[in-house]
Amino acid sequence: MNYRNDEEERPAEGQLEHALADLAAPAPADFALRVLQRVGIPRERYDTYSHLDSAAGGLYVAYSPDAVTGSAVDTMVTDADEFERLHHARTGRTAIRASAPFPGLRPALRTGRAKRLPIDLGGLTDLECAVLHAVRSIPSGQLRPITWLAREASLPSAAGPIVKALAKNPVPMLIPCHRVTYEGGAPCDAAYAERVGDALRSAEGIDMHRLEELTLRGAVFLGSDTTRIYCHPTCAHARRITRPHQVPFRTAGAARQAGYRACKSCRPATV
Amino acid sequence: MDDMAEQLTERLASDLDDGFTELVRVHASAVRAFLFRVSGSAAEADDLGQDTFLRAYSALQTYSPERRRKLKPRAWLMTIAANVWRNHVRTSVRHPVSATRAEDACDTWVDESPGPEERAATSADRTVLVNALTELPEKHRVAVVMRHVIGMSYSDMAEAQGCPVGTVKAQVSRGIGTLREILTPEAAVLGEVTR
Repeated sequence: MNYRNDEEERPAEGQLEHALADLAAPAPADFALRVLQRVGIPRERYDTYSHLDSAAGGLYVAYSPDAVTGSAVDTMVTDADEFERLHHARTGRTAIRASAPFPGLRPALRTGRAKRLPIDLGGLTDLECAVLHAVRSIPSGQLRPITWLAREASLPSAAGPIVKALAKNPVPMLIPCHRVTYEGGAPCDAAYAERVGDALRSAEGIDMHRLEELTLRGAVFLGSDTTRIYCHPTCAHARRITRPHQVPFRTAGAARQAGYRACKSCRPATV
Repeated sequence: MDDMAEQLTERLASDLDDGFTELVRVHASAVRAFLFRVSGSAAEADDLGQDTFLRAYSALQTYSPERRRKLKPRAWLMTIAANVWRNHVRTSVRHPVSATRAEDACDTWVDESPGPEERAATSADRTVLVNALTELPEKHRVAVVMRHVIGMSYSDMAEAQGCPVGTVKAQVSRGIGTLREILTPEAAVLGEVTR
């Protein structure tokens, strides 16, 4: 009798325990931050981070009082806890969740123009910083090849070290590494998986099909026979050239020989 | 997990401010969840949670680096949280503030019904359990919440409560028994009959 009663009770006990475990509600987003403020830990001693929505999905962004110090796209980390851990492993600073994002972050994400956002690249070598600074000057919705980066950053044009520097990008999306391609036009997603890069590019309205078509036609650069100027195919000026006036070029030299000059906005060659 | 705990105490020992931010990051939500379920109020849990960490910080300031290194952060924080909660209950009994007793006499201004946060956290099914939890005697409630909501081990709990493991186990099992009686009165009667 007793034995049977025990057996009947067991599932009920499990249920009650499960229900109790479910009561462990997560703290409100700002709780840890309020604790630190109340205790009086100086703000410079830790980073805060927030989770923002963007056209290409959620983004974690961590920042100190005066600059953004790191970010990760949702698909790169499993959860907020992993982001916190990775951030600490990389910077040695604790990231505390906050609800108010860094000033200027929302507009930067909305428009894709993050060039003026202060970003802290501490811990990277001079070469890496130079490459990443050059990447920041690529406008939203446009692509640039690695040689362009080398020229802008005044570095030797060997691809190896530049790709390595790109892979170290601590602030994906805000430092737009997804706008860098190899010479052939294939995207160079060094710091994250290709599908992350694809999502970021399509969110900016970069039409990869059109670019593939152009590559098939042998067009690394695109010139206009009315202005006699040649551009990178994604340059805002190149996108305005109507099809009958498009003149494809394989090299900058060929364009020059045909009497074309380089665009001063996208700088396909030193102007 | 053990690795992380070790890393945390190491940081506490070498640099208090840095270690403390990490302590807050890792344990803030557990401390708050404990206080929330013990007190039954989100606002109180926020206040008492801040008090807990304030006390923890001033205690850490007086500790030597060796002592900080040997710390078991979670059990230690739960000790402080339980003490803060106990003190809070005692002072509010001795010095009833307008929010509790006096307001009952005159027209009630304070809305005692659960706020948005409580309501979100305690949807339909849970409400019954949360209410049952607040009916438990204080000691049993603390023990049940530590064991089943936070998920602490009996040995950690014994350390946090400063009593033998057996005592803690008894408190949890009595608490669970009472909870079950409150939730399903007929089951309790059945149990008595068969016993």
